[in-house]
Amino acid sequence: MVPLSDREISADIIQDCRSGDRDAFRALYDIYKDRVYSMALYFSRGDAAAASDITQQVFLKLMTGIGQFRGDAEFSTWLYRLVANACMDAARRQKAAPKYSQDMEMVAGEGSQEEDYARRQIASSVRAAVSALPPKFRVAVLLRYFDDLSYEQMAKALQCSMGTVASRLSRGHRMLGERLKGLARRP
Amino acid sequence: MILTRHPLRELAAYIDERLPENRARRTERHVAGCTRCGNDCEAIRLGMAELENLPLVEAPDAIWTAIERQLQEKPAPKQQWRWTLAAALVAAAIIGVAYWGAARRLGVRWEVTRLAGSPVVGTTVIGATGRIGAGEWIVTDAGSRAAVKIGEIGSVDVEPDTRVRVLVTQPTEHRLALARGEIRAKISAPPRLFFVDTTAGTAVDLGCEYSLQVDADGVGRLEVTKGWVLFQWKGLESLVPAGASCRTRPSAGPGIPYFNDAAENIKQALERYAFEKGGVEDLNIVLASARVRDTLTLWHLLSRVPVEERGRVYDRMAALTPVPEGVSREKALQLDAETLKRWREELAWTW
Repeated sequence: MVPLSDREISADIIQDCRSGDRDAFRALYDIYKDRVYSMALYFSRGDAAAASDITQQVFLKLMTGIGQFRGDAEFSTWLYRLVANACMDAARRQKAAPKYSQDMEMVAGEGSQEEDYARRQIASSVRAAVSALPPKFRVAVLLRYFDDLSYEQMAKALQCSMGTVASRLSRGHRMLGERLKGLARRP
Repeated sequence: MILTRHPLRELAAYIDERLPENRARRTERHVAGCTRCGNDCEAIRLGMAELENLPLVEAPDAIWTAIERQLQEKPAPKQQWRWTLAAALVAAAIIGVAYWGAARRLGVRWEVTRLAGSPVVGTTVIGATGRIGAGEWIVTDAGSRAAVKIGEIGSVDVEPDTRVRVLVTQPTEHRLALARGEIRAKISAPPRLFFVDTTAGTAVDLGCEYSLQVDADGVGRLEVTKGWVLFQWKGLESLVPAGASCRTRPSAGPGIPYFNDAAENIKQALERYAFEKGGVEDLNIVLASARVRDTLTLWHLLSRVPVEERGRVYDRMAALTPVPEGVSREKALQLDAETLKRWREELAWTW
């Protein structure tokens, strides 16, 4: 899981956003933008344009709807509900074959050429395996990976029961694991 | 009590230690005695572990720019937000129609700021600032520099000894023509809104920052520092990512892009190969010296080398980095558009 230290959002920032403070909204955007974009990007099979559209859509909805956010739910739950909905809407619109796209840079490895080759092969296989998951499993798996939400929070974000979250995570990760078994046997 | 049903639904929660204690204990006992669930647990753990290979990806700056632009058309969220939003949308629509109409008739004049010396717009030396519209030239001498604000999408610095003309200033198309000299563009907008024409072709912005130089003979060089630029000329295309450059020549269009940190012998061989009727020897140099990152260069070469050399280029690329699913040697050598696109998209993860 990606280590994240700035997950907690203060009530003040939310309140400032509700009163229309653009700086506060920018601060909120900066905290979440990379996680939202990464989720959207991997969900969209590496399509940077689709991921940008989803990210933009999520934050615009957030800004225009934050006046209705009463603070009786956790902010991250609400945010990830918007992300999940936007991703699922995009999946319904684009029932295309798996593909990956541009604008992705891998950090150069420090190992040998063979190690670099193997690392790229692994990353490519993992992306392909995630892309092959059914959208409902894919979004659940990415949500668990990109933020440290409880099952209850994930259930609220995905608008389903905790049992359904657990089921989707179990089945999604099992599919990933089965597809990636060959990688586990690497030397 | 031991579970009688296989608890697949709960295995991820069990592994994540999110099950209530009593259920976790029952699941643990079941898994210990059930090969099928043991295997499922192993697969789930593996799936969770392999996800660590997915890095967090930085959101492009263009997203915020687009959000800001849209927010400027919307009111801040208030109690009466629906009415305010509706009013703002109507106002925005009216202004938009008026702006669109005016822009179509007259074009918009962009702001020019003097950075050094005495830049000239049209026939006038500008003061601290000036304006430039479609059809007008901005000219700098050896001691002059200027910055042009490109509508709402970015800016272009005009370096010394440069002649650049503004061609189109519409919201849907921002177009310059660089006759000679150097410009540095910083654009934060959706792709294909900003274009720069040269005698060797057109640089199409795909959301990026770059510099473009053209000398008196029309020989040019594009260097991208952020995002991507597409350089087009008569059906020939070079896609140049951040950290890479591309030479251009009149009557030949864009050359083969290369990363700036590529070996010097590769750059020299590419220059000869693309523009000086270089042959197999130059191709051999490129193939022998290419690194993984240089698949950018090899990918472009694939469609530009003679058909009998394509197999060697393909084989070198395949040796450098895994060929993704859906890309076959046969289709790649046929230059099948979908196959090449698919391969490029996968290679781009390493560029």
